[in-house]
Amino acid sequence: MIPAHIYNDKELFALEKERLFSRAWTFVAHESEIPQEGDYVVRRVLDDSFIITRDSAGDVRAMFNMCLHRGMQVCRAEMGNASNFRCPYHGWTYRNDGRLTGLPFHRDAYGGDEGFAKNQTLLPAPKLSSYNGLLFISMDPGAEPLQDFLGDFKFYLDFYTKQSTGGLELRGPQRWRIKANWKIGAENFAGDMYHTPHTHASIVEIGLFREPKAQKRKDGATYWAHRGGGTTYKLPPGGFDERMRYVGYPDDMIGRIKKLWTPRQQQIVGEDGFMISAATCFPNLSFVHNWPKVHDRNGRNDGVLPFISIRLWQPISEHETEVCSWFAVDSAAPPQYKQDSYKAYLMCFGSTGMFEQDDVENWVSLTTTAGGSMARRLLLNSRMGLLLDDRPVVEALSAESFHGPGRAQVGYNENNQRELLKLWADYLQMPRPALTAAAPATGTAVTE
Amino acid sequence: MSAVSARKALPFNDSRHLQAHQFLVDEAYLLDAQQYQTWLDTMTDDIRYVMPVRVTTARGAGFDTSPGMAHFDEDKYSLSLRVARMGTEHVWAEDPPSRLRHFITNVRTFECDDGTHLFVESAELLFRSRGDVNESTLVSCGREDLLRWCNDRWKLARRNIITDESVLRMQNLAVFL
Repeated sequence: MIPAHIYNDKELFALEKERLFSRAWTFVAHESEIPQEGDYVVRRVLDDSFIITRDSAGDVRAMFNMCLHRGMQVCRAEMGNASNFRCPYHGWTYRNDGRLTGLPFHRDAYGGDEGFAKNQTLLPAPKLSSYNGLLFISMDPGAEPLQDFLGDFKFYLDFYTKQSTGGLELRGPQRWRIKANWKIGAENFAGDMYHTPHTHASIVEIGLFREPKAQKRKDGATYWAHRGGGTTYKLPPGGFDERMRYVGYPDDMIGRIKKLWTPRQQQIVGEDGFMISAATCFPNLSFVHNWPKVHDRNGRNDGVLPFISIRLWQPISEHETEVCSWFAVDSAAPPQYKQDSYKAYLMCFGSTGMFEQDDVENWVSLTTTAGGSMARRLLLNSRMGLLLDDRPVVEALSAESFHGPGRAQVGYNENNQRELLKLWADYLQMPRPALTAAAPATGTAVTE
Repeated sequence: MSAVSARKALPFNDSRHLQAHQFLVDEAYLLDAQQYQTWLDTMTDDIRYVMPVRVTTARGAGFDTSPGMAHFDEDKYSLSLRVARMGTEHVWAEDPPSRLRHFITNVRTFECDDGTHLFVESAELLFRSRGDVNESTLVSCGREDLLRWCNDRWKLARRNIITDESVLRMQNLAVFL
């Protein structure tokens, strides 16, 4: 049972800042957003602004966007290409790898290096790591390696992010603010198959998506593996190629995918008959993969094709979230596929997406209601899939019928939402991590 | 915009400017009243309706939209699906409907060299109020439209919506601009 006020509670949000977002790996960008040397994007982890650059040596870096001198933001654009960042306040200049290179009147004002050693850098993010081009920051210098953090969920991340050796390319993000708690979207994408037939009824009625009919959604499986979980759709009979074609993948993409996905990953589709749909990687990164019909061209009336979206539920406060929603597509996909897939994304998800519009309406309403005093007296039933004595309504799928790691089961349930909130509760019980590793990164770094 | 190039600005007392202005004001009424099926008929079959994502870039960067990404990037088919959805009984994003007011101003009209198109710039402020608890929200944008003379009336053939925010403060765009 879930106390309803967790979706709008100032004290809990303060705890989330102190104990969760101070520790967990959080997504900031994809490497394809900064393909060239000097390219940068500016992204936040809660209140902290980082410049994510590809420096002139080609290395990806994440640097705290605050001048070492008086603390001004050295970069106030959100994207671009630069060899240097010059602070507007007093003109201190940093290379795109963070090194301080220009300090006006260094000798006159500081007596040169004796007063202020110039061999310093913008403060690097405590931890930066990537998986399939997805760049994550952890604010905990002692964080476990990203690979370990993601664990078995990597198996499922590959479906979205590894469809050719070149990997994904991202467009966007669309950014907009919703008056909703960040956990609601994360939970919804993690496992809420149950909302699809009702919330998104209009999508089926207008012929945009043929899958969400109640019966079909119920036949899908949910899975949870370590730090993430998601939903799937049950596919009609057929082998791997046939089923990939059913959701609209062209043969050349299927060919490349087959070279990269492991036999077990291919068995999920080809033998078990499940196609990945939405998913969430704890704490606030979600994915979606659907296959709507985007054209009404002659002779292609039934044509559907897949799109992928990656989204971050960026917390602003206990009752406000900035949604950052990217369109993602395999970089090796044919140009027409990319164009159609982009169109599919826009019609379904994002700021104008016809799926997403109705979701947000629900989440804003829920958040508002959770802020009152009655919400503190209400335990929301989050037990779908469990009997009163905690036995599952439906048994987990066996290893022979679901070839992925973790626990999977068919049908409506709230296992994944419970798993996500269990992790959330675990993090809130941990002490705040140390701010710095043993040795501070620069002479100006804060110590405990 | 497209192959049609704008030529010269029309004075405000030019009848074509008055027609363009009336087109925009009449359209704003349809959007306020959510008469979307009628609104759809004010567009040509080859309509392109685009709202790029704006980004904050350095002065001199040479771009201020997110490469390859838009909020709207619509043709007649996708617009017709959006309109059809508004007619279903399950359009929760707009049920109950928002109270909308599209304010249109700063209208400038330019004649095009082909004689059948007008290029029209306008500024728009959309006020949207939902329910009784949520704060009302605004979207401010500029618009670049191409109107085409079709038999007996002007129709919208192209619209480029230049939003003034990089991060929208509206919970969704289940509305049109």
